[in-house]
Amino acid sequence: MADPFETLGVEARFDLDPGALAQRHRDLSRALHPDRYTGAPAAERRMALGRAIDVNEAFRALRDPIRRAEALVRRAGAAVGETSEPKPPASLLMEMMDAREELSDAARAKDLARVGKLAEGMRAREGATLGRLGVAFHAAGSDPAKHAEILPVLGELRYIRRFLDEVNAIEEELAP
Amino acid sequence: MFLEIFDPKARPRPIGIDLGTTNSLVARVRDGKPYVIADCDAERLLPSAVHYDARGGVVVGRQALRLAAEHPRDTIVSVKRFMGRGADDPETKRLGTYEFVPPRTPEEAKSVRFHVSGDKVVSPVEVSAEILKALRHLAEDELRSIGGAVITVPAYFDDAQRQATRDAGRLAGLEVLRLLNEPTAAALAYGLEKRQNGLFAVYDLGGGTFDVTILLLDNGVFQVKSTGGDSALGGDDMDRALAGRLLAEMGARDDDRALVRLALDTARRIKHGLTEVDVVDVELPVAGGGEKKVSITRAELDALIAPLVERTGVACRRALRDAGVKPAELDGVILVGGSTRVPYVRGYVERLFDKPPLGDIDPDEVVALGAAVQADLLAGEQDRAGEVLLLDVLPLSLGLETMGGVAEKILPRNTTIPAGARQIFTTYADNQTGFDLHIVQGERELAADCRSLARFVLKGIPHMPAGLARLEVTFRVDADGLLSVTAREATTGVETKVEVKPSYGLTDEEVENMLLAALDHGEDDLDKRRLIEARVEAEQVLGATRKALAADADLLAPAERERVDQALAELQAAVLGERLGSITARTEALDSATHAWAGRRMDRAVAQAISGKRLDDVEKDVATAEGVDAHVEAHAHLARPGKEQG
Repeated sequence: MADPFETLGVEARFDLDPGALAQRHRDLSRALHPDRYTGAPAAERRMALGRAIDVNEAFRALRDPIRRAEALVRRAGAAVGETSEPKPPASLLMEMMDAREELSDAARAKDLARVGKLAEGMRAREGATLGRLGVAFHAAGSDPAKHAEILPVLGELRYIRRFLDEVNAIEEELAP
Repeated sequence: MFLEIFDPKARPRPIGIDLGTTNSLVARVRDGKPYVIADCDAERLLPSAVHYDARGGVVVGRQALRLAAEHPRDTIVSVKRFMGRGADDPETKRLGTYEFVPPRTPEEAKSVRFHVSGDKVVSPVEVSAEILKALRHLAEDELRSIGGAVITVPAYFDDAQRQATRDAGRLAGLEVLRLLNEPTAAALAYGLEKRQNGLFAVYDLGGGTFDVTILLLDNGVFQVKSTGGDSALGGDDMDRALAGRLLAEMGARDDDRALVRLALDTARRIKHGLTEVDVVDVELPVAGGGEKKVSITRAELDALIAPLVERTGVACRRALRDAGVKPAELDGVILVGGSTRVPYVRGYVERLFDKPPLGDIDPDEVVALGAAVQADLLAGEQDRAGEVLLLDVLPLSLGLETMGGVAEKILPRNTTIPAGARQIFTTYADNQTGFDLHIVQGERELAADCRSLARFVLKGIPHMPAGLARLEVTFRVDADGLLSVTAREATTGVETKVEVKPSYGLTDEEVENMLLAALDHGEDDLDKRRLIEARVEAEQVLGATRKALAADADLLAPAERERVDQALAELQAAVLGERLGSITARTEALDSATHAWAGRRMDRAVAQAISGKRLDDVEKDVATAEGVDAHVEAHAHLARPGKEQG
């Protein structure tokens, strides 16, 4: 996929203004959405479709802090993606396994209050980790080596995200 | 206008259709405002009822409804609930008055089939096509010539239900411009009327379906944030709950079609009555003769329907969460669908969203009005096309079956369309030369629990150890919500592509044959239609090209300009003639003559969107905006305004 920052024409930084990003997406949709090209020749319609898809996909990527961070690391020239990144420390794995176990216990007991409390704790941690990422990107500038150092924080964020996805699934399942 | 060149008397006009469970409507835009087309009795709602008589005749609407009591089996009401449903669907087991034909083959099992008078077997698609035909005739009386239709569907309709609706439209002789989600249509009509910006929830409880949509209105852009619902939940279920109670009072069995019809109709009347008063009395026939007076209070009705209404809350909470929106952040709640007239529903919505719903729109008409607006926009009928844009989402996740039967989501629900995503898979066995792809739709963990959309095989992968092949699967969904899937083995370049036409839909050929059978002059009429369609498309392309020349001629090199002018003139000449082949060939020629130029114009549109300025300011801004520079490099053919010419 092309660099999402370039596709949307926004500055490549981690702390993007979400409102401005959404506005840019709407402005570009106005210019490229296939409905704007309904009377146009077929090739032009196909072109608009392809570019509207690129814009939507770039927006989806940049809205998601994990994919936004991945795009930044990739821009700096460092390898990204779980298979090419260093393995997470054993302590994090243990900690996350314990947390997941606690969550499935609460789910089995249909204890929504407990699930909510676990989620709350993890959301706080997500917020803090996002803050750390922001600082780390700011400090890294355009140095690929420093971007590589960011990867463990990103890895942690992915584990946190999976936990919260699980929370959503459980809450949907147990919803009254 | 240019279309008048070939037929000044009957310029085709687009229409919007709300194909509802209980009632259907057709609307059009005149002088920039949408309105519902009334029949000769000034009625705007056409009951979605179709009666088949013993001589093979078909009666639609109010008259059909009157025949329902006497012919409960041969009068299909609420056919929408059966659209895209298989012969064994739970809907066929619920309280009702129809005779379903058991399928003899797997092919027949794909659709519900009704046995009706005259020993006829009809499918929901055919029944719906009768309703659409009646609406088409209504519109033709007013417009003489119809230039395509937008038909609305519940946002939560899956692919099978959408395909069935599209087929019904084609079968009714309509060119379906778009299937538009009902809540989005409602928001479009409401938003344009009120000229209001903000975050809205649309709560749409109709006769047979429930949708909830969260959307943002921002200066003409209608952006759907999330949608959810239940495509088998509506006012009919309230009627059934109450009818069950009435049948018990009557001491009647639920396989007596005439009494079931009576109970359902009485239940509906009571439900309607209870929106105004607190108690309704009815006289019911009882087993063994005589009548019995039964009183139903609003509290009783509320208790019967509460569990149904509660089910809408689950979908609403999920839609809010998917949109990342809290009830307090909503600027308003729009009610759509006749069932939102039920006081208990209004109260429930108010509690759920923590604010009173907006009450100043007609919940029956707003969807058709929105459909007419969208049809108008898609047909490029007016300049407003530059101001208003709908950004809709996928209602259900699209994915692939992977190892162990797990459904891996490639495009999650509520992704803005058009959309695309690519995922890499690999082989799991040594020397695996083929790869089975099973495309599914739905939220469930296991592929077997999701709706199967298509299966295909990527063949010809050379012998490799397990895990070495790189299989790239690309999903693309266009603005109509239609999916195409491409699979490619990256190390060898072996490629396969499928347009996902669901296996239960009608093929183009089947529809054409059915149309041929229905038209008086068969082949002749069809040829005439093809010629008219080709002309309409050619006129559109001519118009679009002239408009583009007026705005962006500076992006054409002199030699290119010459080619475009020539292609324009040739197509213009072809359109005046009667030869279909010549029109399509010249349309394609203009297409290729303008191709490179179109790319440049799109780049300019992007540059303008990014700078947020008018045309004259673009040039200097383009030079400074970092993002655009990058974009320019990525699209090497870009010619900046005023530069790189000749």
